Amino acid sequence: MAPHSPGTDQIDTLLWIGFVAAAIVIVAINAALIYAVRKNRAKRGVQPTPASGSRRVQFRVGAALTVFAAAIFVVSLVFTGKARETPATGSAGLAAAKTEPLTIKATGQQWLWRYDYPNGSFSYYKLVVPVDTAVKLELLSTDVVHTWNVPDLSGKRDAVPGKTNKVIFRADDEGTYDGESATLSGQAYAAMRTAVEVVSPQAYEDFLEQQKADIETAQDRVVGLIENGEVP
Amino acid sequence: MSEKPRPELVVDGFPGRKRPRWVELATSPDHKDIGRILIGGSLGFLFIALVEMLLMRLQLAIPENTFLSPVAFNRMLSDYGATAVFLFAIPLALGFFYYVAPLQIGARGTALPRLGQIGMSLYAAGATVLYAGFLFTPSEAGVNPLAPLSELAFLSNNGVDAWATATGLSTLGFVFLAIDLLTTLRNMRAPGMAWRRVPVFSWAASVCCWLLLVIGPVLLAALTMLMIDRNYDGIFFADGSGGAPLLWQHLSWIFFSGAYVLILIFAFGAIAEIIATFSAKPLFNRGVVMGSLAAIAVLGTLAWMQNMMTAPIGIGWMYFAMLMSLALIVPFGLIVFNLIATMLGGTLHMRAPLLFALGAISSISIGLGAEIEHSMVAAAWQLKNTTDATAATHFALVGGAVFGGFAALHFWFPKMTGRTMGESLARISFWTMAVGIVLAFVPLFFAGAEQGQVIDAYKFFDGTGVNAYNLIASIGTLILAAGIVMTLVNAISSRVNGPEAGHDPWGGESLEWFALSPPEPHNFDVLPDVRSAQPMRDIRDALAHRNSRAELPARESQPVA
Repeated sequence: MAPHSPGTDQIDTLLWIGFVAAAIVIVAINAALIYAVRKNRAKRGVQPTPASGSRRVQFRVGAALTVFAAAIFVVSLVFTGKARETPATGSAGLAAAKTEPLTIKATGQQWLWRYDYPNGSFSYYKLVVPVDTAVKLELLSTDVVHTWNVPDLSGKRDAVPGKTNKVIFRADDEGTYDGESATLSGQAYAAMRTAVEVVSPQAYEDFLEQQKADIETAQDRVVGLIENGEVP
Repeated sequence: MSEKPRPELVVDGFPGRKRPRWVELATSPDHKDIGRILIGGSLGFLFIALVEMLLMRLQLAIPENTFLSPVAFNRMLSDYGATAVFLFAIPLALGFFYYVAPLQIGARGTALPRLGQIGMSLYAAGATVLYAGFLFTPSEAGVNPLAPLSELAFLSNNGVDAWATATGLSTLGFVFLAIDLLTTLRNMRAPGMAWRRVPVFSWAASVCCWLLLVIGPVLLAALTMLMIDRNYDGIFFADGSGGAPLLWQHLSWIFFSGAYVLILIFAFGAIAEIIATFSAKPLFNRGVVMGSLAAIAVLGTLAWMQNMMTAPIGIGWMYFAMLMSLALIVPFGLIVFNLIATMLGGTLHMRAPLLFALGAISSISIGLGAEIEHSMVAAAWQLKNTTDATAATHFALVGGAVFGGFAALHFWFPKMTGRTMGESLARISFWTMAVGIVLAFVPLFFAGAEQGQVIDAYKFFDGTGVNAYNLIASIGTLILAAGIVMTLVNAISSRVNGPEAGHDPWGGESLEWFALSPPEPHNFDVLPDVRSAQPMRDIRDALAHRNSRAELPARESQPVA
């Protein structure tokens, strides 16, 4: 996992902070356990010393734990807030998405993702987006719960039937980013993958035109076949 | 007056045929028999869960493996989850509570023995239904069968029905057992045993039973709705007709989050008893530990949406879930602090129960530590449903239910059978399990957090950088399973071959050690007045005092040199 968007940059930092917090907890507890065991093994003739704790110690430990938990909470709030911000479309991005993010519909279905672009064309499996452009994916599902998951570009989001969820990201670098669905959705769940191709705005426009033309050609051909009676 | 006794005073009864031992056991309303069945049954299902887990790990040992078909894998996964949670972990905890808690509080039985018996039978019925599912077809919907995948439209065979019936029957059984045990704990404590003097394990039993009374009916409601959806054209979880798939997620996660902390509360209750006993010291700050156990039950259940961080719910709910989960740091931290403080200045006897108890704390600390990241909202967006979550959950729950459960097993085995478990095999088993759990789940942390490998998938692809991690995890699972099987074998063979133990082999502090090993059906002939949180210590002190007084005249009569 390598962050390629402002949102995942923030998440990556938060992940490292969380890792350090978890490591502190794990190391502290296990070190204390090992220390307590090594120091207090039963020896012949040694009697256990009676408990000598005071309420003060308990309060101090409780207060320290509360501060630790509160610190993690606040840090998470700050970074989650930053990760949720809608990034601005940069100068290299799509001119049409300067004010409003480019909105694309992503529909999960057993076991494919379908992407519907603003100009009416669509693609399966592969999502093409312009670089340096704020993109808003509206997540829908036609059947069961799916999770849209391209870790390099954004955090996960569930597509739940009957609800609309959204993912907002801005891809900073051109390239292809792989993703795989992350909620068990039936037999071919493991094969339900997707790829996001980040290209220049010009290439994106060309792709849309080409895709639209291809779809129209294909549809015309089908209509022609039906009219000629070659298919029922 | 006749010479013969009056007929109604004849107590011999008909010379009827003797019923076989297993019939006696299965129909006995004695809490010790029910407890033994629950413990034995759940340990058996631990073995079955292990086999299922090993088969799945075998499939995931190498990329794009074809050992299990996708459908077979999903069935294995669904039955593994139900077995581990409903047939192993919860009944194991309840079995120990049910056996030990009435003895600890000085009760001669439970308050509603027939209800407890029905509860145990419902658990057995649930287990039968789940595995009878193999005769037709098991569920394919996963550990938590999220609607709408679990709806008839997507899984039209009987698998999900069998799953829902099985988990529903056992959950109803758990609720019955909880009602019985709660009534016992509230009404049948020995004279003088105020709540502040109740042993920590019995207090944990009380907390867990309250918890089951809350979360059990929630799951039962959800399962009922699912069954209506599937069999009577219901629309509870169907979108587009007024139903809501998210409703299932809320209800089921309330149950599963509660069950997660239930297992940890059970483990910490047992660990606290063991550490105090083997340090030869009273538990440090009992009151704080007891309060923390109750706080964990409340906060842990309220944190259910920690499992729904990627679902279409408002960001405010995610922050709420984060607050509740992170608040758990305080009670868990206080418990671990007080357990370690109990050991300081103690004289630790490193016997098998203590070894497993310390292993449990260590394993749970890794699981809960990793869970911190899953509670931080934006971090959870990346980590959720990756193998990082699998590893965190397994460190916490294998730590709680297997290491903690084995600690309880080694600790109370002498009480149940009159024999201790073989010590050297216990040690070998412990270290094998310790190596196994690290090898099995640490690589999954890396595969999930670093490479984003997703959970529940029947295969992973070559070239995604997770090949080595998965191979090590599969080998580690095999080692872990070998260690667990050693303890199961040890338990079976020690029932007849173990070294004989006295009635109080560890020098325990609570009243179960006052009973014989194994206890008589009525538990106690006489009960002492409870004057402190360590009644057995008081009894020993009183005996020592009496003996020293008895010695006095003898000493005086000795000739002065």
